[in-house]
Amino acid sequence: MRNFSGLLVNEWLKLSKKKSFFVAYAILVVVFGILAFAFYKLSPDGLDSTLDFATGTIMLQAAGQLVPVLAVLAAAGSVTQEYRYGTIKFLLIRAQSRHKILASKYIISIVYALSLVVTAAVLAVVAGYIVYGGGSGDSTWTDFFSNMASLAVYSIVFVTMTFMVGILTKSNGAAIGIGIFSMMIGSLLVMLLSRYSITKYLLFANTDLSVYRSDAIPVEGMTLAFSIVILLVYVALFLSVSFAVFKKRDIA
Amino acid sequence: MKTAKISNPSIVLQLSGLTKKIGGKAIVDGLSFDIAKGEVVGLLGPNGAGKTTTMRMIVGLIGMTDGDVHICGQSIRTNFEQAIRHVGGIIENPEFYPYMTGYDNLKQYQRMTEGVTDARIEEVTKLVGMQDALDKRVKAYSLGMRQRLGIAQALLHEPKLLILDEPTNGLDPAGIKEMREYLKRIAEAEGIAILVSSHLLSEIELMCSRVIVIQEGKYVTARSLGETESPKQKIISISLQVGDAAHAQAVIEGMEGIEVVSVTASRMTIQIQHEKIPGLVAGLATQGVEIYRIEEVRETLEDEFMKLTGGNRIA
Repeated sequence: MRNFSGLLVNEWLKLSKKKSFFVAYAILVVVFGILAFAFYKLSPDGLDSTLDFATGTIMLQAAGQLVPVLAVLAAAGSVTQEYRYGTIKFLLIRAQSRHKILASKYIISIVYALSLVVTAAVLAVVAGYIVYGGGSGDSTWTDFFSNMASLAVYSIVFVTMTFMVGILTKSNGAAIGIGIFSMMIGSLLVMLLSRYSITKYLLFANTDLSVYRSDAIPVEGMTLAFSIVILLVYVALFLSVSFAVFKKRDIA
Repeated sequence: MKTAKISNPSIVLQLSGLTKKIGGKAIVDGLSFDIAKGEVVGLLGPNGAGKTTTMRMIVGLIGMTDGDVHICGQSIRTNFEQAIRHVGGIIENPEFYPYMTGYDNLKQYQRMTEGVTDARIEEVTKLVGMQDALDKRVKAYSLGMRQRLGIAQALLHEPKLLILDEPTNGLDPAGIKEMREYLKRIAEAEGIAILVSSHLLSEIELMCSRVIVIQEGKYVTARSLGETESPKQKIISISLQVGDAAHAQAVIEGMEGIEVVSVTASRMTIQIQHEKIPGLVAGLATQGVEIYRIEEVRETLEDEFMKLTGGNRIA
């Protein structure tokens, strides 16, 4: 167990020792800063409180969309950078099984994604407080936290998918490209195909759980429990493929 | 099939019927050999002979189709974590995280193995002479420095076996000499077995106590380097440069146990027993033959290698 925590520390350091590590957090600070400024100047209707602002901005359709994008950028590199640097050879000749090494990489990718979710949430509340100083609006803390949870789930699903693509292609660019492209095209695809009931089994129809609070359900007959099961099945599938391929692959 | 049981505890590495097939073609074909504690063994073969594939299978980077590799009695196939803990390796160029310092890179590998202390990091970096460069980022390192850091990481967990694939690749002559001296020192100081591949035959000759030659994935021969026959009886080739070769030849043919191999106007090559050389020189001198040079014609590892593998054919 002590050994495994060592692996986790290693993976975290591989991320955090990079100069680009703080860029992701800085981007979030800048974006929420700009949003706060714009809201302060324009004071749009229907947004009257700190919580209104925070709940609205961390939605996937708003600034929240940045979080999974930034998380995917990091997850894509987790395995592919080891190939790029050639360090995969040193990594895999230690007294650690490939499963443990990959598990540490996946866990840190998720931890990093969650750290971005939390950062975005804190920034949203802070920026909202600066602009509105509390105030009374329609949103509740429950709304806020459920949007935050939806953001986390969405990020985890796409991080898992990108992680798998990175292992399959060994290419950072391909993993980033496919990860972000499917985020962009996914919801469009679901919209176009929403009249076919089979669409509800598509991954992209289920990634945004916040729809169940706004009644904008993509395909008729879908429920929150259904979506959670579908997501779990996809994540399990992505992870099985990742671990099976990584375990068997020849490092040539 | 050879059984994979080990009776001799000094055997550090044992290959038994190691085979790798890719698309039906055998890259490595039924390779078997042992390496004992403290031995430095060279793995030789022309390009494409399967050296790198073999070494990658030994460290588990590539799966094997058949056969097995045992390290200190543990199978790399079925007991990977127990087997690999005795191995340190550099497979082709040593690569590090360029944005981290040398020290941070070593710490990465320290965390992956139980029982590597900070004192051990210090000891290993001193051994390779890197203590002053350890807090620089690796991207500022020269190739030679990276090679040294590579050796440091390979030695970190006190392995019993070092696997070095082309360790001198890309080094300048000074770097190669330095590397060779490190390896010799390490083999002596830490008593570990080393398996090294290189296409620089002279390198192998200077470094190894034994070579194993493979070709097209198959074992060809093994040979000990250094004197094996008693030198007195040994027949050696001598090249002579003399004033008049025809005269010298006439004199030599009157002597016993000397075979003339070739003659030109002023130079001749003969085969003679080591202990008869003083007699030959005295005989030639008394007959008035002027001797300018006497040289031993040594068959180098390279000549032998060419003979064994039929030149560097590309398969």
